[in-house]
Amino acid sequence: MARDQGAFRLHNPWPKIAWGMVALLVVVSTVLGFGVLSRYQQNGPTLDLWNAICRGLGLSADTAPAKEPVPALRTPTRIAWTSNTLDQIAAGDAQRGAFIAMNCIACHGQGGVSTSTLIPTLAGMDPAVIYKQLDDYRSGKRLWGVMGAIGKVVSAQDSADVAAYFAVQSHGLPPLRGYRLPESGRSLREPDPAKRLVYAGDPQRGIPPCSACHGPGGYKLGAPALQGQHADYIERQLAAFAQGIRQNDIFEQMRMIAKQLTPDEMHAVAAFYGARGGAPSAAGVAVR
Amino acid sequence: MQNSSRLALYHYWVAFAVFLPAVVLGAWQMLIRSPLPAPLDDPDAYYASVTLHGTAMAYVVTTFFAMGFGYAVTATSLGRPVRGVAAAWICFVICLIGTLMAVAAVLAGHASVLYTFYPPLLASSWYYGGAFLLIGGSMIWVVLMIYNMTSWKRDNPGQPVPLAMFAITATAILWAWAASGVLVELVGILLPRSLGLTTEIDAGLARTLFSVTLHAIVYFWLMPAYIAFYTLLPQAAGGRLYSDTMGRLTFIMFIIFSVPVGMHHLFADPEHGAGMKFLQSFLTFFVALPTLLTVFSICASLEIAGRARGGRGLLGWIPALPWGEPMVLATGLSLVMLGLGGFGGLINMGYAMNSMIHNTSWVTAHFHMIFGGAVVIMYFAIAYEMWPRITGKPLQSKALARWQLWLWFAGMMIASIPWHITGLMGQPRRVAAFDYSDPFVARMGPLVIISVIGGAILLVSAILLIVILVRSQLGERRLEAPLRYALAVNPPKTVPAALNGFALWNAILLVLMVFAYGYPIGQFFILKSKVPAYEVSGPTNSAGGR
Repeated sequence: MARDQGAFRLHNPWPKIAWGMVALLVVVSTVLGFGVLSRYQQNGPTLDLWNAICRGLGLSADTAPAKEPVPALRTPTRIAWTSNTLDQIAAGDAQRGAFIAMNCIACHGQGGVSTSTLIPTLAGMDPAVIYKQLDDYRSGKRLWGVMGAIGKVVSAQDSADVAAYFAVQSHGLPPLRGYRLPESGRSLREPDPAKRLVYAGDPQRGIPPCSACHGPGGYKLGAPALQGQHADYIERQLAAFAQGIRQNDIFEQMRMIAKQLTPDEMHAVAAFYGARGGAPSAAGVAVR
Repeated sequence: MQNSSRLALYHYWVAFAVFLPAVVLGAWQMLIRSPLPAPLDDPDAYYASVTLHGTAMAYVVTTFFAMGFGYAVTATSLGRPVRGVAAAWICFVICLIGTLMAVAAVLAGHASVLYTFYPPLLASSWYYGGAFLLIGGSMIWVVLMIYNMTSWKRDNPGQPVPLAMFAITATAILWAWAASGVLVELVGILLPRSLGLTTEIDAGLARTLFSVTLHAIVYFWLMPAYIAFYTLLPQAAGGRLYSDTMGRLTFIMFIIFSVPVGMHHLFADPEHGAGMKFLQSFLTFFVALPTLLTVFSICASLEIAGRARGGRGLLGWIPALPWGEPMVLATGLSLVMLGLGGFGGLINMGYAMNSMIHNTSWVTAHFHMIFGGAVVIMYFAIAYEMWPRITGKPLQSKALARWQLWLWFAGMMIASIPWHITGLMGQPRRVAAFDYSDPFVARMGPLVIISVIGGAILLVSAILLIVILVRSQLGERRLEAPLRYALAVNPPKTVPAALNGFALWNAILLVLMVFAYGYPIGQFFILKSKVPAYEVSGPTNSAGGR
């Protein structure tokens, strides 16, 4: 064992050769690894020696620990039906609203009775519906060029006022109260697909009846009554929900339903509401 | 002497008793991965099984075999009983307890982290504790080997240490260097986290520490096979060792070049720079040197034997060799697998080529060919050579032993060649189930089925091995010639101090380790790279871990 101490005496041939070879190995591998390999890059400029050494050691500008990407929070709307919101809507000033509505009549028609089949009639619409849509336009939750711009210039108070104005206009949508469900046609065996979807839905596809929220008979806060609305407008909105272009329905209810409807069914349902609303005042709309 | 023999025998028995069930698991894993129907088709069972198979084969079988082999070599090559037998038995018990702890944790489903246990995967502390006892306990064996060699040198000043003893001490030193990585990982990172003492885990540091172990451990497995090549084979073939010095150099080079190279297992990891990766890739190529030296030396030794037995002409010495001897046959088969696997290994260690096969089945196939094939077949041959001499009960039938070796060779070739190909086709490793209806995967189906057949043949061979050993054990005691190691053509009278001890080489390795691993490990003390752990263990641990 004593002679093993010679390991560190360089005049011995074995240690001398061994240390020499190891030194050579260290130098050659360092030069190749840091001076050559780390310098030349396939898709970038040749690095200078200092940057090459840093790169060889794994040091680059972006060595911070990786972060989990956080997806942006996406909500369909900013509106929640709190008592504050409802109070503000109820406090809408129809007189002031009439002044603001001067901006709307060019498209939505005099008194909110639209003459264009692709633009909805606002007269007689529930004020909460108008208020919510204006806020969705304002926040970019519902996208439609002109309405987006208008939404941004009207305040929440303006929205409540203009909604109060349109809600009391006549000759538009039929009044909601007192409208009863028809006795017939509420069965799943109803042969007319439009009637079946409106009154019974399609449980196999998870589609509830349209009338549960949009009338006739059932109405939900924030969901527009559809009787008497323009069929072309309804059909276009169904298509927009189906394609995910329109996304301001809470809990994706309308997107889930519309996605499963065939184009023919959309057309039939829209036509049903457009004509059905007809009773007293739809005729008036049609005349105009 | 009697005590030394019993020591070796007990270690061999543990190794082979663990070996057989581990082969059964391996064959079943082959089946569940294939398009064929498999019993217990459950991915969780697959990952638990892979963990058990890997832990058993990589840590338990090899460590116990190497320890037993070490005691046998010490006693026979030095010609005197092993010193420190009491410590050796304590070591045996500690390792056995560790094994049982780890196996219990895996069987309970609390440790399906695979044998490389890459964090942030986190297993039950029983598993890590078991692994620590097994690997840490084997350090007693390392100390005993060094102690036996140095005390012999003190008693025989100026004498060359017998090559077999020199080589087994080299194995022990290599194992100490290799195990340092995983031991530090277990003590510093995994055990504290699994016991709930820390909240996060430094996955990059843990992987880097494990890489210190990961390549050197392969050479720890390989060393008994190489010792057999140098010291047992020439004797069995009826010839002499070509060069004693070449043997010593080979084992020294294994110590130096198998440790500071482990980062080639991390080529696809983000925590290290290209320069450090290349540097270790470059050093890795030097491990081919001792293997090439060995192939040369062994072929030369065999040629000496063949010509001594009357072989003539350029290649006439090859058929003249005693191929009926299990040791000679196993060496021939082993060299074929070592050659094929070795060339595959050159692809794995190449910095650029590695990306073609990284984490594919190719890698699994590669180490099965090298370890499961070339190395384990030599373990069999060593057992056949040593068993009768330890017990005094000869093998009942050498023909059966030859069958066993041929079956193992055939099974491994049939299993791992298609396995290599599926890896090149892009099949990932460590995946329980493949969707063979997918056209990309479907074309691998027939190849995987061929591998399953290979796995079944391997299972038959493993059963045959146990049958042969048990038959020998049950046979009557007949006096067997004592184990004799091969003499060199020029037996060494004196050797340079550098080739008779390890001080110089340990110093050189220390410098190389600081060079190769200093920065890669040191950087973690500056970087903040800790992440939450992903616990695979059951309720017992998560209760303690939070």
